[in-house]
Amino acid sequence: MDFPSSLRPTLFRTGPLGLSNVPDMSFMCSWRDTLTLPESLPKNSENGAPHLSTGLLWEPETPGPLPLLPPGPDPWDPGVTAQDLLFRGGFPFRRKPQAVLDVTEQLSRFLWDHGDIAFAPLGKLMLENFKLEGARSRSKKKTVVSVKRLLQDLGGHQPWGCPWAFLSFRQRRFSILGGPVLGKSVASLLGELLYEELATRWEQLLLDDAFTGGALAWVPGRTAQVGQLVYPAGGALDKLCFQEVSLTPGGDPQALGDPGHIQLQGPVRQVVTRTVQGESLLAVRSDYHCALWKVSKQGRPAPLQVLQVGKGATGISLSPHLPGELAVCSRSGAVCLWTPQDGLQQVYKDPETLVFCDPSPWRWADFTAHPRVLTVGDRTGVKMIDAQGPPGCGLLLFRGGAEASCQKGERVLLTQYLGECSPESLHPTLHLICTQFSLYLVDERLPLVPMLKWNHDLPSAPLWAQLLPPPRPGCPQPLLLGGQGGHLQLLHLTGEGASAPRLAGPPQSLPSSSDSLSAFPLLEPKSQWRLQERLKAPTIGLAATIPSSASEPVLSLFQLSVAGDVFYQRLHLQADPGPNSCASTASWTPQATACCSRWLKALLKVPPAPPVWAAPTFSHRRLLGRMEQREVEPKGPEALRAAMAEGRLLRQRDLGSLPSAEPPPTPEPGPEDELSTRLEAAWEGQLATWWERQQGRSSGPGRQPKRRKRRTQLSSTFSSLSGRLDLSDATSPPHSPDRASPEARPRPPVTPPSQESTQELWARDVPSERQQTLRDYMARLPLQGDTPQGVSLPLSQTSSIRATPSRPQTLPDGTAELPPRRKTLRGATVSSSQTSSIRATPSRQQAPVLSGSQPHRKKPRMGF
Amino acid sequence: MSDFSEELIRSKTEDDKEESCVFSGTGMSFPWLQKHIGTVETGGKKEKDFAQTTSACLGFIQEALLKHQWQQAADYMHSYFQILEDSDSHKRQAAPEIIWKLGSEILFYHPKSSVETFNTFADRMKNIGVMNYLKISLQHALYLLHHGMLEDANRNLSFHLRTFSLWADEDDYAYNTASQNMFDHSWKTSVNLRALIQTPGVWDPFVKSYVEMLEFYGDQDGAREVLTNYAYDEKFPSNPNAHIYLYNFLKREKAPREKLISVLKILYQIVPSHKLMLEFHRLLRKSEKEDHHKLGLEVLFGVLDFAGCTKNITAWKYLAKYLRQTLMGNHLAWVQEEWKTRKNWWPSFHFSSFWAKSDWKEDKALACEKALVAGILLGKGCRYFRFISKQDDQVLRKKIKQIKKSVKKHSVVNPGL
Repeated sequence: MDFPSSLRPTLFRTGPLGLSNVPDMSFMCSWRDTLTLPESLPKNSENGAPHLSTGLLWEPETPGPLPLLPPGPDPWDPGVTAQDLLFRGGFPFRRKPQAVLDVTEQLSRFLWDHGDIAFAPLGKLMLENFKLEGARSRSKKKTVVSVKRLLQDLGGHQPWGCPWAFLSFRQRRFSILGGPVLGKSVASLLGELLYEELATRWEQLLLDDAFTGGALAWVPGRTAQVGQLVYPAGGALDKLCFQEVSLTPGGDPQALGDPGHIQLQGPVRQVVTRTVQGESLLAVRSDYHCALWKVSKQGRPAPLQVLQVGKGATGISLSPHLPGELAVCSRSGAVCLWTPQDGLQQVYKDPETLVFCDPSPWRWADFTAHPRVLTVGDRTGVKMIDAQGPPGCGLLLFRGGAEASCQKGERVLLTQYLGECSPESLHPTLHLICTQFSLYLVDERLPLVPMLKWNHDLPSAPLWAQLLPPPRPGCPQPLLLGGQGGHLQLLHLTGEGASAPRLAGPPQSLPSSSDSLSAFPLLEPKSQWRLQERLKAPTIGLAATIPSSASEPVLSLFQLSVAGDVFYQRLHLQADPGPNSCASTASWTPQATACCSRWLKALLKVPPAPPVWAAPTFSHRRLLGRMEQREVEPKGPEALRAAMAEGRLLRQRDLGSLPSAEPPPTPEPGPEDELSTRLEAAWEGQLATWWERQQGRSSGPGRQPKRRKRRTQLSSTFSSLSGRLDLSDATSPPHSPDRASPEARPRPPVTPPSQESTQELWARDVPSERQQTLRDYMARLPLQGDTPQGVSLPLSQTSSIRATPSRPQTLPDGTAELPPRRKTLRGATVSSSQTSSIRATPSRQQAPVLSGSQPHRKKPRMGF
Repeated sequence: MSDFSEELIRSKTEDDKEESCVFSGTGMSFPWLQKHIGTVETGGKKEKDFAQTTSACLGFIQEALLKHQWQQAADYMHSYFQILEDSDSHKRQAAPEIIWKLGSEILFYHPKSSVETFNTFADRMKNIGVMNYLKISLQHALYLLHHGMLEDANRNLSFHLRTFSLWADEDDYAYNTASQNMFDHSWKTSVNLRALIQTPGVWDPFVKSYVEMLEFYGDQDGAREVLTNYAYDEKFPSNPNAHIYLYNFLKREKAPREKLISVLKILYQIVPSHKLMLEFHRLLRKSEKEDHHKLGLEVLFGVLDFAGCTKNITAWKYLAKYLRQTLMGNHLAWVQEEWKTRKNWWPSFHFSSFWAKSDWKEDKALACEKALVAGILLGKGCRYFRFISKQDDQVLRKKIKQIKKSVKKHSVVNPGL
């Protein structure tokens, strides 16, 4: 192989990362890079200036990407934002705002929302010292206190945040005495865990490295015009889809038929494809599993192997040299070569990072020009490891430090071997290394000294990159760089044979999906907001291809968002890079806007995600009322009479027959409230569907809804009366958990109320319940990382792995192969037994999904 | 009083630095952190209006540049000059460099820009801030050089010839490339060049020119010393070119074979895939020493390990020939030693049926050489050899027959096994 005959001069400094955190501006200037080295000047100087492709530009066809596939049926919620995590209070003495995690607000939300969980164990412990009913204790021992009066003083509502609320002396005394005990136990137990969780969420929000490498891949088909997109779909991203797409030279990409899919047992994080020696392979990484498929010429995947990674997999790469060979990295710091024939071979293991200490367990591995040499990367650097050499040896390829003039806080986010292209392209020894500030091209033959550095300045983490073959012979190669926020940059790289790699022209940015907003019709604010959020959804995968047969090179670019949307854009290489070449502004075509409208219509039909958090309702009236009801009930009329006689106010509880099970008006609209649902539907632009639904319901069997409606109206009119009426029937949607929960449950009538509720809630395994509720709570708060289900899945997976510790399949120890479950494939008939067996098996997966999508039920609270 | 105000300024800038670092608990900095914080209404002092405006303007310029909207970028740049009036001294000092970098970028690509415009801009920028004078002059010279205006570039730079050694530590490509052209015909500068190339770094163009100059003046010893230092100084990165230059120099000098081998041995350790390795093999083959013969085999195997060399017909030809030669010389152990680490991956890397078909289709001569090697290493049962030997080609019939014969004779695979 040729080595560049003369390298760009650089100073070689060794040492740690730069101390300055001021961005290094010296790699922002592309014009100096595009100039060739002076030794080639004499040849060029004859015809004046050297040839420079200044007009090198890939022109987008439309101002933004267009949807390729209709939106998925699962609702999507943008999840956690900085607003949910950060403290909003002011620091008057700080010169600049700073990120401070707001644990107190989350903790107080938890206490309000799940006071039963927070305080019940203590309450249970103290139960024998309190008396909830009856007269004052007659015993000499002063260990039992009656709190009946205290509960009465509370009167059904707690004065939350109301400074004028009446506080009785009893209440005041009790809170002063009990406050430290109650508050401390909860805060000390929960506070630490909560802080840890919030910190993880915040870090995830800043950088979610799970999708490093990208979860979208293009598998070329038999002709250049047809191929398959492989990507995860479904709310939990656990359905691996194979969508055939045709790329016509003149028109937009067309999805051919419905996608085939394979149901997996965890969220798909990375999809890699490669065609080696005519064999197309597909590797998929989930959190704790990796799997390998072989894609036949007809485009059907056949499973080869599944690997379980105990500590969690962080990266997977397919060898460009040997068919079926993979490199897998684990959080434990191990890197393994994996072939279906020979199984796992641990190549490298070091829980420590390479250059300096960094807490991130992220590891990455890729191949090099030598099939037995791998690169192993972490946040601090990249090392080359000989798989056949003695363990522990290796050569640093990239060092986060002065050698590459890294700046303070700079970390490696992605490394990629670029040597898979055709021979007349760049040297097959180049590696791309991306940090949050710059990208580096490093030649493995000259370690530590980057051949090229470019300050990409992307406003989000660059987690995927793709080097494409030259669109025409002799043209520079496009290198796509994608950020998590959907930002795309395209660099033009050149440098074959004896010349060093360099930029062939100024890099360009490509439209991101949020630029497509203008193609959609204007909507009412709520839908507009929803659309906007959807278009802003983080990108999790990128795939691009240049069909070679087209006369004019066209770059088709596909982007997958975490909401499951696949968008595409087409870019044309500007035909004649003349002197007046300037970016012309593309405009929307009627077809494009029609496509967007169709997609939007389908999107608005998808029900919006259930609110992740709703304000809790505070009431213990139910409990107290029931308690007193039994006592008071027989003397209802008497009480009335007594009240009349005494001339005092008739209180609700005096009327035994009119119990007060109705909770106070909640901020969330109940499903019975037809007016508000109708208004809501109208607000969302779905009045038509609502009406249809309504029509369908009323014309259905029975006149149930009508009657119910009337009853609802009544119930709202006479809220105090309707409490006893059992409104909750089986068909009531899970929107009104309050009404459904306590009354609907059958209960033995003789149990004393306090104990009854205690048993009902707490006779079961309290710790596990608490854990689950805490987990539910965390999942429900607007704290979710990527998908509503994304949280519960890893949890369930962890437990599944914990449950089977005897399996010898953890990555560092060994391998075991189980064929991946194949559910449905395009063209393949699905036997129902197969389907059902799969439906039945992943109980650990489905249960959390269900619980995740259902609004949670509030539980009756203890009297405290 | 003056001390006090200085103190104030210093503490202020230090403060600024501390606050502009946006870290998480891991020590990693996130350029997008500020954006997240911005969505939450936190207290604290907001940036001044002017600072907000200028940073927005900078953003617009960068965006326009990335969209190749040169005219728009120029318009924004026009406004950005106001930052030179910023009351924040720290920002005011940093501004000229940003303006020069973005401005030169715009003017380089702007369709209506000309050399004159660039000259005017560069001349104006040179006079803003002393620190930038040299840098801009040198980059300006580079620009002129690339527009074939050697004279102008020379005039532009001549003033700074004396000061350039101050610059030797500055890592700046423009300086390096520009200066090289200026200096390589000037004996006076040799001292300075010498100082430069003794600083750890990659100085390929300078070393080349400097050695050329020394050779021109007949200073062979000096040239050798420079090249030897450049190649063997441990403070330098392991630059393959350093060894290549030394090797080429020694070859020109008609140095003894032993010397050449010792230079290439090191290159072999750094870049076993380099095209000089075939030359290295030839040297080793011609050598009298037995361990050189052994190394000759190792080198050939080493070249063919690399993905970029799999279709190198010369390498395959050498290997086929040398394998036969080695086996005839009763050195089966050498072959076995090399084969031991490769037998589990060379068959699928080189000798799969896919490659048999594709090589035969693309390059029959290559296919024949590979078939011979495959036959010797894997026996006649191997797929690659079988496929090629079955081919019925009029021209190559004789050759294939020969291959079959040599495989039968030399195959390292024990047919009994």
